[in-house]
Amino acid sequence: MRYSVSEWTKSGSPWVWLNAGAVAICVIMVVGLLGLIAIRGLAHFWPADVLQATYTHDQNRRIMGEMVQQEMVPAEQLRGAGVQVEDGVEAMRRDLLKVGNRDFLPADFFWAMDDWVVDKTYPEMIMAAERLEWGNFYGYLREVRENGETVARHDGYDKSDAYMEVWDEFQRRIDRVLDIRDQILEIEKHKIGSINYEIERLRLKERSLELKQSTDADAYAEIEARRAELNADYEVLQQDLIELYGRINRDSFTAEIADGREVEIDIAKVVRAFLPNNMGTGDKLVHYGAKLWEFLSDEPREANTEGGIFPAIFGTVMMVILMSVLVTPFGVVAAVYLREYATQGFITRLIRIAVNNLAGVPSIVYGVFGLGFFVYFLGGSIDDLFFPEAKPAPTFGTGGLMWASITLALLTVPVVIVATEEGLARIPRSVREGSLALGATKFETLMKVVLPMASPAMMTGVILAIARAAGEVAPLMLVGVVKLAPSLPLDGNYPFLHLDQKFMHLGFHIYDVGFQSPNVEAARPLVYATAFLLVVVIALLNFSAIAIRNHLREKYKALEM
Amino acid sequence: MTSEAKTHAIDISSMQRDDRQLNLDDEQITLQVQDLRLSYGDKEALHGINMDIPKNRVTAFIGPSGCGKSTLLRCFNRMNDLVDSCSITGKMLLDGENIYDRTVNVADLRRRVGMVFQKPNPFPKSIYENVAYGLRIQGINKKRVIDETVEWALRSAALWDEVKDRLHESALGMSGGQQQRLVIARTVAVKPEVLLLDEPASALDPISTLKIEELIHELKNDFTIVIVTHNMQQAARVSDYTAFMYMGDLIEFGATDALFTNPEKKQTEDYITGRYG
Repeated sequence: MRYSVSEWTKSGSPWVWLNAGAVAICVIMVVGLLGLIAIRGLAHFWPADVLQATYTHDQNRRIMGEMVQQEMVPAEQLRGAGVQVEDGVEAMRRDLLKVGNRDFLPADFFWAMDDWVVDKTYPEMIMAAERLEWGNFYGYLREVRENGETVARHDGYDKSDAYMEVWDEFQRRIDRVLDIRDQILEIEKHKIGSINYEIERLRLKERSLELKQSTDADAYAEIEARRAELNADYEVLQQDLIELYGRINRDSFTAEIADGREVEIDIAKVVRAFLPNNMGTGDKLVHYGAKLWEFLSDEPREANTEGGIFPAIFGTVMMVILMSVLVTPFGVVAAVYLREYATQGFITRLIRIAVNNLAGVPSIVYGVFGLGFFVYFLGGSIDDLFFPEAKPAPTFGTGGLMWASITLALLTVPVVIVATEEGLARIPRSVREGSLALGATKFETLMKVVLPMASPAMMTGVILAIARAAGEVAPLMLVGVVKLAPSLPLDGNYPFLHLDQKFMHLGFHIYDVGFQSPNVEAARPLVYATAFLLVVVIALLNFSAIAIRNHLREKYKALEM
Repeated sequence: MTSEAKTHAIDISSMQRDDRQLNLDDEQITLQVQDLRLSYGDKEALHGINMDIPKNRVTAFIGPSGCGKSTLLRCFNRMNDLVDSCSITGKMLLDGENIYDRTVNVADLRRRVGMVFQKPNPFPKSIYENVAYGLRIQGINKKRVIDETVEWALRSAALWDEVKDRLHESALGMSGGQQQRLVIARTVAVKPEVLLLDEPASALDPISTLKIEELIHELKNDFTIVIVTHNMQQAARVSDYTAFMYMGDLIEFGATDALFTNPEKKQTEDYITGRYG
């Protein structure tokens, strides 16, 4: 059978192949991107083996650390950098080692030529410790001390019962410290936090009385009495804290680091210590789970390069929810007016064009507008009217959760308007007439029949709005997102939801950790992990909105006629 | 031809049909149409219609597509108000009161003059809520009253036995014929005086059509019914009076038997014998 090219072209197959190819490329790119950030980000929490080796290039010194990355470097480039490379060698392998111990060594990351790293071993008793400051620690545990006096000591390098006894003693003391740290946190964060919050409110109350030039002596006395009460509470808590701090600083340990020095570190500074080379897969999985949970549920440490990112997750979700709550009624009301009530003509056409163009305005422009109009103008006016007692400190006159949500609501309102309008246009005329013919007014018809039927379309608009808003960073930097917020915008202190507070955001967190961090190498895996998490959060927000939409669709299944 | 037809516009009061059982002169009149003209923009669609719709009778409008019968029907409950370019002159009296008067509340009027459309258009709600819709709009919220009215309306529409066990299921799950009877029940539930049916059976199968026709027979005891239909057999079967319209004019209006057996006008005869239309 003969087969001609022109027939093949006419049959349409080439175009089908072309389209399929384009789709395939898109899918590969998306999957590749997700795969890259997922692997790079999630691998960070796996406890890597700690390498011990001799570095021949530099007086045969001992090195210890995690292998982070390997790459081939052209000899040309190495020679240019002053590294001696034998002739005939085209490229050499270079390793990036995380050697930690930032407080004892010149740098916590170290590039080593692979050829010069010899005698590679993975000794079972090398310890890795995560600390509250100075990053990871690697070394051999030597001694556990209580109030400066030796409790247990071992000097070998190999695993033995005696060594494990010292290790167990060390672990017990870490557990004790963690327990005390929880108590301290509870007091500092919650109890003292509440007291400070109330004292601040009393100060504002007093100030507002002064501003009103009130002479109500009882009111002043009442404030003073309450303040004295709070101060007394505070004193008690302060005593507790001093006692707890005394207990937490009791223990310390010493360890031998890579260069042979024995250094002393307070156990109070340790978050967790483990023997990575001595762990089985099960242990590592448990460790991995704990690390991942810490990442999701804890607050950041060490300039955001360690610890968790819970405040950023919380801030992102909170802002998106507030944004949705604000944007939906606005968009829907605008769309209903445009589609149902306004006389269609030049003006409505103009408004539609404006709305569509609004969707294309760069987001930073919204940020500038939000800062100028919402924060400075509206916020400033609100402060003058309602919070004069707090001046000169701004309450709403500075970036905050509310202004960020409103700015993003403004950014996404065109999407909701367009989607709702399309939904309204799709409601069959016959259903509206059916309602009108029963004596319903236009408004009743809208409320009882048309809007419920158009609700899936509104949800589509909200989904698109969420997708756009959750990933936005640029405008947020101007209207309320910060790199580190001391407290969550939702807490146990009245009025619980603090719309004036600044908050953290995953998108900004990525920018901050990745590009503003003093320690780029340490921060890189967290950039991937945070990026992955941002994608997951947006996907979850979207999925929940889609689930609601599908439920509504099922309920108001369109009249198939 | 249009002008010729206009001069022949029927003066109903002068019609003499002693040999017929039904006679318009003996009827109580619910709706009176007086020189009604309707235009869409510049185009006049109804050229001065005069007719009386008798009470508790079924009046059918027949005529070829585009003759204005649906347009006229939609004037009875001011559905044409929804069309922006539509303008109307002349009078339409419901119990002696002009429904195009400024003081008339359109929502009230539509409560008195109910309408059923060509395609079933139930709301995406439960069967119960569909029937209760008109009552809730009127602000009736007593459960007992609504329950009773829903049952009564569904019985009137011969639907009660089929749906009484699934009142709270979605109306969209019903068959087309059931949906159309549900729409009739929904309209009946608000107890209008006049029931307008705009080709109510045209989207239905023969059995459903039969049920609707039986229903029309039942309902005329309580309501004045005006029905638009393409199907002349249907008009002959269900109606007491028939109006033949052509190109925006009312050509002939009289008792159905007379009109079908002995039409006065040539155009009517041509149409009912199938020579055009």
